[in-house]
Amino acid sequence: MRRLLHAILLGLLGAGIVHIVVLLLVPEFTERDAWSRLALASDLYKMTRLDAEAGGAPVVKSVDPMFYAAACRFDLAEGMVRIKAPGSVPFWSVSVYDRNGHNFYSFNDHTATGNKLDTVVLTPAQMIDVRRELPEDLQGAIFVEAPIEEGIFVIRAFVPDDSWKPVVSQFLEQSSCELQDY
Amino acid sequence: MLKTAFFTLLSLAIAIGGGGGSVWYALQAQSGVGAISIGQWTAFPEIGTQDADPYSKARVAREGVLALGKAEGLSFIAERDAAGDELKRQCDYRIDGSFPTARFWTLYAADQSLGVVDTGKPRLAALQSYQVLRQPDNSVIITVGNRPAPGNWLLTEGFGRMYFVLTFYDTPIASSTGLSDVTLPRIVKAGCNA
Repeated sequence: MRRLLHAILLGLLGAGIVHIVVLLLVPEFTERDAWSRLALASDLYKMTRLDAEAGGAPVVKSVDPMFYAAACRFDLAEGMVRIKAPGSVPFWSVSVYDRNGHNFYSFNDHTATGNKLDTVVLTPAQMIDVRRELPEDLQGAIFVEAPIEEGIFVIRAFVPDDSWKPVVSQFLEQSSCELQDY
Repeated sequence: MLKTAFFTLLSLAIAIGGGGGSVWYALQAQSGVGAISIGQWTAFPEIGTQDADPYSKARVAREGVLALGKAEGLSFIAERDAAGDELKRQCDYRIDGSFPTARFWTLYAADQSLGVVDTGKPRLAALQSYQVLRQPDNSVIITVGNRPAPGNWLLTEGFGRMYFVLTFYDTPIASSTGLSDVTLPRIVKAGCNA
């Protein structure tokens, strides 16, 4: 009887350890995180629609039904990436995520000059290079310094009602996500 | 000998089963570490950031969520009404009260996976603040149900559990200091068609 109790107690202690280990390993080993899902859907530097409107099931969950969204994956080890979207919509916001889907920078259209989405994501080292001589066409861009290599860039745009659908769709379709030469 | 093997196996079974099962359970639950509750509404302001607790991090990784950033907005989820009963798709509800400061907000009825409820009609099971009618004191009354209602009507359809997701965009409450004195609307059950 005492051995049974001993075994159960040992089991519960083990359960605690397993609980912690599994919890910490889930983010490392999951194949269902945002990065993996996007990787299945498209290549690096390619804007992909996240909402179901573009056809098929949504790539990434929990997009507000009154929003359209698009995302691209980038790798700063290859160089800095520039994201642009022409046109104007009622509201847009963007977020930069690292490889594990952690949000570390976000801003919305009130932050941008003239509500235009034009931003450059780059590492602190690349920032030093760019600061030395700022190219003419990057003058109005918002610089996001990111101490990461691989990451995800997401644009969300508000669709107030059905009449805005074509406009907002076009806004996202015309958005670009490119390696910027410097 | 056989007894020792049995006890070892028992310990291992409890450890692996209990450990794995408890993680699964903790990740399923809507509430949990890092949650902030206001009335029936729950939010995870830290979710999807580097400061999040390990449970939030595991949840983000497992579900492939790309959480809203602080400059974007903050989502609240309700799974129970004011009386403490689970929200049902076959029931009618009344959501009334004032909403905190934000550029705008959206409200939608969600199913188990937090996707919008499929109404089978062109009308979405969603509302946004630019289209709602307001009371003289700036509060909003929303009727939720599958029959058209005057004023603000949020269409739902079907049977089973339901969640309300209320998201504020470009709002000062997304920075955690703003959350202390926020009041959110009440959810009251009006009746069921079951």
